[in-house]
Amino acid sequence: MVGMSVLRSAAALAGRLNPLKSNIPVGTLLSGSALKTEKAVVRYGSHGKKMFIIKPSDYYDRRFLRLLQYYTLLTGIPLAAFITFVNVFIGDAELAEIPEDYVPDHWEYYKHPITRWIARNLLDDPAKEYEKMMALVQMEQEKTEMRNLQMQVRRHMRQKGDGAWFQVETIDKSLIDYSPKATPDN
Amino acid sequence: MKDHEPGAYPEPPKQTPVVEKETALPNPALIGTKLFYYSVDLPVTKFREIIDSIRGRNKYYYYHQNFRRVPDLTECVEGDYLCYYEAEMQWRRDFKVDQEIVKIMQDRLRACQTREGPSYLQNCNEELKKFDQVAKAFDARYGDLGANANSRRCLMKQKQRMMEKPQMA
Repeated sequence: MVGMSVLRSAAALAGRLNPLKSNIPVGTLLSGSALKTEKAVVRYGSHGKKMFIIKPSDYYDRRFLRLLQYYTLLTGIPLAAFITFVNVFIGDAELAEIPEDYVPDHWEYYKHPITRWIARNLLDDPAKEYEKMMALVQMEQEKTEMRNLQMQVRRHMRQKGDGAWFQVETIDKSLIDYSPKATPDN
Repeated sequence: MKDHEPGAYPEPPKQTPVVEKETALPNPALIGTKLFYYSVDLPVTKFREIIDSIRGRNKYYYYHQNFRRVPDLTECVEGDYLCYYEAEMQWRRDFKVDQEIVKIMQDRLRACQTREGPSYLQNCNEELKKFDQVAKAFDARYGDLGANANSRRCLMKQKQRMMEKPQMA
C-alpha cells in the first residue's frame, strides 16, 4: 500500500517534470493528477498589453540634440530668412559690357548683392591691396640691396685695409719714448 | 546680356513626328506629360515669373574686369622684385583664364555628347579634336607644376620644352 502511494507520487512527479509536456500549473504537491489550465485568448481594444520596457536613460542624448537644434536654429533661421529675402527682393546683378568712358567701382565686378556689399564696405579695393603688397615688396627689396652693398663694402674694406672701416686705433706719437734710441750700442 | 550664350550650344531642329490618334483609348504618355506639366512645370514657372517681376524693378549690373598687360618675367631685370611681383600676378591671372578655357571646352564636349545621344562617337569629332588640342596645350604648359605653381617654375618648364625640341627633331 505504501509502495503504491510512492509509485503514484513518482508518476505524478514524472508527469510534472516531463519536458515534452507544456508547463501545467500544479495545485498541491499531493494531488494525484496535474491541474490543467488552458491559456485564455484575450483580445485587447488597445495596442496590446502595456509593457514597461527597461532601458538605459536617453535623457542626456535627447537633451544634447535638442540644445544643438535650438542653438543652431537661433542664428540659422534669421540668417536663412535674410539671405532668402536678399535673393528674392534684390537679386543678382546682370552681366553687361563696360560702357565707354566709364570706370566701374571695384565692387561692381561681383554678382551677388551680399558679395558686392562686403566688397564695398568691409574690404579694400583689390588695386589698393596690390599696391600695398608692392610697397612691402619694395621695402624688402631696398633692405636686401642695402644689406648686399654693406656686405660687399665690408669685404673690400677688410681686404684692402685703406677704407674707413676696420681701422685699429694706435697710440699717440708723442707718447713714444725714444730715450733707448739715444744710446745705440746698448 | 545673359551669363551664358544660348547660341553657343545650338540644339538641332526637333524631329518629333506629329502624332495622329488612331484609337479611342487614352494615351498614357500624353496623360503623363500633361500631369507633369500641371503639377510641376506650371507652378515652378509661375513662381519664377513672380520672383523675376519683383527683382526686375531695380536692375544693376556687373562687369568683367580688364587688366592691363605688364612686362613678363623674361623682360624683368634681375633683382627687380616689383617687376617679379607684377609678372607673377599676371601669370596667375592667365593661369586662371586657361583653366576656365579648358572647362569651357569640356562643357562643349559634354553638351555635344548629351545632344547627340547614342551617335556621339560619330558626330562629335570636331569638338573632340578641339578639346584634345586645348588639353594637350594646357598639359604642355602647366602640366606637372603642382599645387605650388609659380611663374618662375612655369618659365623653367618652358625652357625644358625648348631644350627638348631640337633633341627630338
